[in-house]
Amino acid sequence: MNWSLFFDLTVSGLTLGSLYALIALGYSMVYGILKLLNFAHGDVYMIGAFLGWFALHGLGGPVNPDFAGAAVLVVMFITAMLGCGVLGVAIERFAYRPLRNAPRIAPLISALGVSIFLQNSALLVFGASFRDYNTFSLIGVKVYHVGNLFFSVPQLLTVVSAICLMIALTVFVARSRLGKAMRSTAYDREAASMMGIDVDRVISVTFFIGSALAGAAGVMFGLVFGQIFHFMGFLAGLKGFTAAVIGGIGSLPGAMIGGLVVGLAESYATGYLPQGSTFQNLYVFALLILVILIRPSGLLGKAVVQKA
Amino acid sequence: MKGRRGLIGVVLALTAAFAAVAAAYASPDRAAAPAAPAASDSALVKCGKTRTIGFMVPATGPAASIGVQQVHWAQYYVSTYNKTHKTKFKLQTEDTMLGAPTGTAEALKGAQALVSNPNVLATAGPAGSNEIVGVTNVLKGGGLGWVSGSSTRTSLTTDGTRTGFMFRTVPPDAIQGPTAANYILKKLKLKNVYIIDDQETYSTGLADTVQSVLRAAGATVGRDGVSQQQSDFSSLIAKIPRDVQIIYIPWQLPPKGQAFGNQMKAAGRGSVKLMGADGLFDSSFAGVGSHVYDTNFPLNPKSKIISGFRKQHGGDGEYFGAPTYAAVQVAATAVDKACASGSTTRAKVRAAIAATNIPASKSLIGVALRFNKIGDLATAHKFGIYKSNGTDFVPVAG
Repeated sequence: MNWSLFFDLTVSGLTLGSLYALIALGYSMVYGILKLLNFAHGDVYMIGAFLGWFALHGLGGPVNPDFAGAAVLVVMFITAMLGCGVLGVAIERFAYRPLRNAPRIAPLISALGVSIFLQNSALLVFGASFRDYNTFSLIGVKVYHVGNLFFSVPQLLTVVSAICLMIALTVFVARSRLGKAMRSTAYDREAASMMGIDVDRVISVTFFIGSALAGAAGVMFGLVFGQIFHFMGFLAGLKGFTAAVIGGIGSLPGAMIGGLVVGLAESYATGYLPQGSTFQNLYVFALLILVILIRPSGLLGKAVVQKA
Repeated sequence: MKGRRGLIGVVLALTAAFAAVAAAYASPDRAAAPAAPAASDSALVKCGKTRTIGFMVPATGPAASIGVQQVHWAQYYVSTYNKTHKTKFKLQTEDTMLGAPTGTAEALKGAQALVSNPNVLATAGPAGSNEIVGVTNVLKGGGLGWVSGSSTRTSLTTDGTRTGFMFRTVPPDAIQGPTAANYILKKLKLKNVYIIDDQETYSTGLADTVQSVLRAAGATVGRDGVSQQQSDFSSLIAKIPRDVQIIYIPWQLPPKGQAFGNQMKAAGRGSVKLMGADGLFDSSFAGVGSHVYDTNFPLNPKSKIISGFRKQHGGDGEYFGAPTYAAVQVAATAVDKACASGSTTRAKVRAAIAATNIPASKSLIGVALRFNKIGDLATAHKFGIYKSNGTDFVPVAG
């Protein structure tokens, strides 16, 4: 057993998995409340990456930032999360809310439309060129190791930030008044409304939080992998969706676990399977099919019995 | 249960679509028998003062970052030409969305649009070899000749399917690949090579050529592939054996090459040499460090055309797009020649393209623009080798 390779792949898988988990949370939260597959979510993540880049360059750029690197990072995250949160609320308000009582296919098509709209808007506004976060200049290129476990600062930052965000979300949903309202709305929207819960507000907050997490994931992506472009949300969105389904769509812990499972599967497939790098997506989507066949409700999802 | 079933249905539909796209991409050479040119081939067209050239380019989609370079260079030719001539040119641009799941279909749609406009006399592009295979029948059926500035698959011209219709202003893989392989073997004297293609025809063709030359010479060659859309190379880097001396990455997108080089550094493997191909000939890839090499057509950075372009584009040479300038130049020159009597046919324009003879002094790519019988440049027999000085590529003796 080549332990060095195993640890390298594990660190890489956990980093990727953290990003997928953050994206998957947005899918799961929205599906839990609206039963809507928000296919524009991957593109919100792309917009987050761009907002982070603009914040970075607004503060002097990665080479000569106006403030300390840590402060710049905080501003980048806040900008991306707030911007994406607002964007998510706007998408819900204008693209999904008018279709709330329409057949389920209508908002699904609307979601695909929003996705293409965001992609092409980004191309129009930001251009086709790749943007470089130049993370090395901002936070250094040093690689740390504990025994055979090698990791870089951006990787560590990504995994730790993702864990913190997931814990914060879990506490918010479990303990706060608004979180309780979200759970009630997810359980039975009509009953929640009759109990005095402002369902529209709850849905808006859900979109805000889910999109903010995607924005954070976008910045993390830029920091770890360096470059961002207008088409980056397509595949990441699909993988996030896959993670949500594998974990059990609608389940927040499921989304987190699903993200890590997809990230690790992708990484191990690349390292160990024949032509793994070429066909990593094949392996990931094969895993999705396998999980659905064995456990249609996902790893942590609950089978829902509906009345005929 | 109904909701779950619906969800499973959506997932299976997406998977089926994914598989269908993958299957389509797995058989890029599925061209049907070539169609015979239709009546439009010999239809007489009044040339007028403003003449139209079709332009097929990936303006959007995953490869838009290189498509935009081709757009800039094509527009640069047209704008400089129009300033100095009484007759004018305009481009009818069709987006091919290279690399997108619907890419080939978009290219076909664009080809149909060009063919159905009788004023389009010749076409520059398409960019990708797969696209060319896809649109061959349509363009041939409409009698349109086309000049590509970036498709390098060798068989596009050697299989005889497109002779007399397709021309290109870049040398094919059969020239570039051996140049790179021989430099690795004979100049760098390296015997342990890892090749990673980006799963696009351009890249796999070059990777195959280099691999076969290296293996024939007894070198140890590892091979892998990575999606053009991928940005995370950490798992792949972990997999590359520690004793590899050079990694050959004939990719199309320079920023991806840059990201790969930077992630190599982040993994503590920044000393392994990297070599790209003309697709990566860009300062962003050169900026990875002085251990980076590249092959490119013999471009003259001191050319007035290049300095004029750079001035217009904030100092950026966007060299990947340069052969597209030559492609538009060939098409425009042929149209002018065929329009000498005021009217022409697409067949006459094709014949004029075949007879192109633009001297090296007026050619951006460093050699005279003249085609052999199958449509390849008769004058480009080798590629140049370049090494990074830390910020840009400089030529080295090959």
